[in-house]
Amino acid sequence: MKFKKKPYLIINIVLTGVILLVMIYSIVFSPDKDDYPVTCIHEKLTGEPCVSCGLSHSFSLILRGRFNEAYQWNVYGMRVFLFFALQLIMRIAFSLFYVRFTNTRKQLMIMDIIGSILLFLIAFRQFFSYLIHYS
Amino acid sequence: MEEEVKNNTGQNLGIAALITAIITFVLAVIPCVGLMAIIPGIIAIVLASVGLSHAAKTDSPRGVLVAGLIIGIVASLISFSQIFVAGKIAEKADKWPGRIEEIVTDIQDKVLEDLEDASVSIKIESGDEKIEINTSANKKDLIEKLEELEEEDTVVADTLDQE
Repeated sequence: MKFKKKPYLIINIVLTGVILLVMIYSIVFSPDKDDYPVTCIHEKLTGEPCVSCGLSHSFSLILRGRFNEAYQWNVYGMRVFLFFALQLIMRIAFSLFYVRFTNTRKQLMIMDIIGSILLFLIAFRQFFSYLIHYS
Repeated sequence: MEEEVKNNTGQNLGIAALITAIITFVLAVIPCVGLMAIIPGIIAIVLASVGLSHAAKTDSPRGVLVAGLIIGIVASLISFSQIFVAGKIAEKADKWPGRIEEIVTDIQDKVLEDLEDASVSIKIESGDEKIEINTSANKKDLIEKLEELEEEDTVVADTLDQE
């Protein structure tokens, strides 16, 4: 089977890679050393911390099993991390289903899109309300 | 053969646009990096537009391209709205220094009021030696002391007059 003719599989593979990069970033950079290269632009501009501040710390701490500290760094960190973790599993599982069950590909893709949108809205709900509240 | 290559170009552009748009969308919602997301957002729109023009020429499927374009536009708009959010918060933050100044002045006044009746005691011990300094900032005490000093006979006996 050629990947070139299956955009769904290519998209899944690339997104899996992106999520893995996020995980690697969280593992490589240490919350104790505080050496994260990405800083909050929002805080730099306004001088006020935003709703997503401490998310990198939170991810790193979750991956190290320090859940209480992760919660203290960012309240929504766990929810967003679970979204990424679920997406990683979903990308792999849906790709396997796509290859195995050729008759139900369309239904599978629709289910994937609806499920991902719902998960995204649940995980980033607070970020959306923050955006709506201030804009 | 040439047509197949053209079709592939359109499809590849569509996939690239859709992936960029999805990543942009996730980034745009996060306030910390939301403003930066406008760059991949524009890239996604450009890729989708180029792909659509290719698809129009070759009459190839446009589903992925249209999806990439729509998600790219929405993500860019969300990213752009982060500027307004930052602006509003900065506006609020500007009001803070004035309020902080007021609070500091209030605290300062209260501390001064409390200190009016305060008494300070300093004890220094070094081995057997002991020094104790007691002072009071009590307004009433200070007034009484001043009055006592004024009442005291300030004329110092001159030895020359006595002779």
